[in-house]
Amino acid sequence: MEVTDAAVVAQVLAGDKDAFRVLVDRHSRSIFRVVYRMTGNQQDTEEIVQETLLRAYRSLERFELRANFSTWLYRIAVNRTLDFLNARKTQMQKDTYQIADNPDAEEKQVQLPAADPGPDRLLLSAEMKRKIAGALGLLTPSERVAFTMRHMEGRSIEEISQTLNLKTSAAKNSVFRAVQKLRQQLEPYAGQSSPSPSPRWGGSAVK
Amino acid sequence: MNHLSEEQIVLHYYGDADAPGEIEQHLSACAECRAEYERVQSTLRQIEPLEVPEPIANLEEKTWLNIRDRLPQKSGFLRRLLGKRALNQAPATPQGPAWAGKWAIAGLMAVLIVGAFLAGRFWPRPAAPPIAQQSGEVNPQRIVLVAVGDHLEKSQMLLVEIMHNEDTGQIDFSTEQQLARDLLDDNHLYRVSAQQVGDPQIARVLDQLGRVLAEIANGPAEVSSGDLQQVRHTIQSEGLLFKVRVIQSEVNSKLRPAQVSGGNANQRL
Repeated sequence: MEVTDAAVVAQVLAGDKDAFRVLVDRHSRSIFRVVYRMTGNQQDTEEIVQETLLRAYRSLERFELRANFSTWLYRIAVNRTLDFLNARKTQMQKDTYQIADNPDAEEKQVQLPAADPGPDRLLLSAEMKRKIAGALGLLTPSERVAFTMRHMEGRSIEEISQTLNLKTSAAKNSVFRAVQKLRQQLEPYAGQSSPSPSPRWGGSAVK
Repeated sequence: MNHLSEEQIVLHYYGDADAPGEIEQHLSACAECRAEYERVQSTLRQIEPLEVPEPIANLEEKTWLNIRDRLPQKSGFLRRLLGKRALNQAPATPQGPAWAGKWAIAGLMAVLIVGAFLAGRFWPRPAAPPIAQQSGEVNPQRIVLVAVGDHLEKSQMLLVEIMHNEDTGQIDFSTEQQLARDLLDDNHLYRVSAQQVGDPQIARVLDQLGRVLAEIANGPAEVSSGDLQQVRHTIQSEGLLFKVRVIQSEVNSKLRPAQVSGGNANQRL
């Protein structure tokens, strides 16, 4: 019978540091998937996976043995990712106020969307994916994390507010602001039914 | 007729809006809002979850190798007390014979039992206010009592860890510090609750505990052997560990009859 996560945690807390390897083996891949959706970068994701597990080990005393270890770890992973995105944003603000004509992959996060990409290119789904990635890159870290949790992972507003330690209204607001920004970037390229941005809110200022 | 706001429409798409029935009704009656909702729907449907590439084959191995040396050794107070053999059947450590650990735990248990007994006999307690309670009804005081018991247990574990930490050179105190910070807020809440329901003994011990927790929480993340001795001295001079154990024992004894009788016993904090 497989030893439960809680039993392994107890073993680690009893001083058996190497037992933590079992938890690393069990959870690294699932953390990788969660984090990648928020960073979109494999190397950054691997680093955050390591930081998440390191933080989990250091905080192991605070883990309630009756709780679900995966859920606890998920929260740490999301918050480490948020810290990472915040740090990266600060660094990028320091480094680049100039927008390069041909930015490399890492600089795409601050690249302004192309004003007129041409209708033929929009037919390509790869191009749309690039647009979406660019639009996601314009979100603030907390908007991006909240949106990823709600839209891509189907997490409830309650889960988002608990994970990010936000009030429910703030969690809803983060998701809404993210969608508002994404609409501004993507609606011009959306399906035939929506050839232009929303007549009512399309031009509203994005906070 | 007021139109729906963009926020209402977006939140409704995810099923998170307030009054969804009214929004639904409005959408079926208002062509403009319905068109707006469809635009939101159309845009959001295009945003599919990011395709996650398969991580490198040896992700687990790489992760472990990168973090292994950065993991601080847990002090493992229980392990030292019981001896390694008792926990995982490994050969006894060379520090001492296995029976020494057993005697140590027997001694500790004896001290706890005698302490709890004496405290139960001599600790002055105000009369419990009667609380009418129906069978099967959830008693909020009982919930508080469970929470306080849990808080005391964690506090006790922290104090025990501090009393038995390695004390040579510079000591990484960040874990203890974080735990103390977490406990501090709860401690304040429980102390105020204890005062309000007329349990001055518990309030007094929580007050002393709060001061020690604040000292740990606000101290440096890395402490010297001297600093650690100072914290230990504070804990010892106030007999804090003993008092916390006694209070916890009291809390447990208050919970016990309720558990036996299905939660009908009157409880107080």
